[in-house]
Amino acid sequence: LIMKDNSLKLVSSEQALKELGLNEHQLRFTCRVQLHDPHSDPDTLRRIYTHLKSVLKGYAIQHLPDGTVMVESIVIKVSSSPEEANTKVILLSWSYQDEDLGSFLSTLLKKGLPSGL
Amino acid sequence: MEEPPVGQAPKPLLSGAVPLEAFLALLQKNGIMEVKVEETAEGHILHLQAEDTLIQLEEDGTHIVCDNNEPLRTTLRDLVLRFLQKI
Repeated sequence: LIMKDNSLKLVSSEQALKELGLNEHQLRFTCRVQLHDPHSDPDTLRRIYTHLKSVLKGYAIQHLPDGTVMVESIVIKVSSSPEEANTKVILLSWSYQDEDLGSFLSTLLKKGLPSGL
Repeated sequence: MEEPPVGQAPKPLLSGAVPLEAFLALLQKNGIMEVKVEETAEGHILHLQAEDTLIQLEEDGTHIVCDNNEPLRTTLRDLVLRFLQKI
């Protein structure tokens, strides 16, 4: 709700920032989660996708062809180093606006993936 | 298992900028002493050496890259938020 030219109007937060002449500051987090997992990177990502699908009901979860899983606007990628093929690094990236879900996912993935996926 | 967050209001948008010197002073006050600062075209990259964490500070954005260390991440988040306005 903003007041401009002596009248009140209801606008989106983005619009309000613009009308007030303020810049938006994007706060982002990228969290590295290490996972002991002997599967290949794409396989680990697929298992993450399956796991999240079963835990997070009612969320938009996508497995994209470019090798990422997205939960709402949170991006998840998997990588591993050739020296330690059994250790995967999951990269989770989210913005402050998705703070609750991002924090939840990083805590969830830290616990590992259930066997049998 | 912990339940996923449901029906929570999205966080407010942020506005403003994080001033480098004041932020470094605040980090130091919170016990983060070893910070290597690198200048970039867009701003600065802070390498918190003991914590193995990177903070990219730019005029219109801040990016915190860390290991899965929730207490550290939330501390850094709150320190950054002190400089920003919530809309």
